[in-house]
Amino acid sequence: MNTKKLTYMSLLTAMALIIFVIELQIPPLFPIPGAKLGLANIVTVFAVYTLRPAESAMILTARILLGTLIAGSPISLIMSLSGGFLCLAGMLLLCRVIDKQHIWVCSVLGAVLHNLGQTAAAMLVMGTASVLVYLPFLMLTGCAAGLFTGLCAQYSVRALGGRFK
Amino acid sequence: MIRSQKFWVAVALLVIIGSAVWSYLTLRFWDSGSTVNIISDGKVLYTIDLSKEPDREITVEYEGRKNIITIKSGRIRVTYADCPDHYCISQGWGEEGSLLPIICLPNRLVIEPADSQLDGVAR
Repeated sequence: MNTKKLTYMSLLTAMALIIFVIELQIPPLFPIPGAKLGLANIVTVFAVYTLRPAESAMILTARILLGTLIAGSPISLIMSLSGGFLCLAGMLLLCRVIDKQHIWVCSVLGAVLHNLGQTAAAMLVMGTASVLVYLPFLMLTGCAAGLFTGLCAQYSVRALGGRFK
Repeated sequence: MIRSQKFWVAVALLVIIGSAVWSYLTLRFWDSGSTVNIISDGKVLYTIDLSKEPDREITVEYEGRKNIITIKSGRIRVTYADCPDHYCISQGWGEEGSLLPIICLPNRLVIEPADSQLDGVAR
């Protein structure tokens, strides 16, 4: 990894954090715990399609840890990590079979994986299966959010991508 | 098949439609009964029959953080929480028969139907 690459990745991490902070200002649209737009995932999806897997993982880890320092709690950290990494792992596999014209598909499926990871972690933390009731609603809002972030990433990749693969 | 883009588009659409149908079925056929459990940090603190319970307020504390639960004419909701997001408050009233679990993640509080269809999964 050369300095240019490191700088590029830091820039992406900083962008993800800024998006994360701005999104905090948007009031929650649905009274479902865990449902949010997840705009910072635009950067994750972008990284999955333009950087190596380990590099995407580094950007995601840095974003989640720093994001938790800005606004978060130990519990929100567990939720972000479990959802974020299941989503990342799924998208890293899917990006091998889904081409750059269909990034939104990868993002929607990633969003659903994110919800599954979150819900599993919530079940463990809360010690009750009640949270499962919210899974279908989370998945539905997650698909919509994933579609939006995926399209954002798709157009970004078309405009800027491929430079560092 | 796995290389075909159409296949993955179809999978994504199926997931979207599936979760919409699942959401609808949950709302349509959810039946919670009248007894609720108030659970803090995995332990059942109160078991309340909403159809018999007089109006009252219950304060639940977890690691110094408070939630106030209000019961009024057979309905239940969280009216105060000192967590950052207040999802539990915006979930509003839950009443007999149609109470979806009310959850406050930061304070590890759950208000759930005592005999929900999820019982088999939970225990």
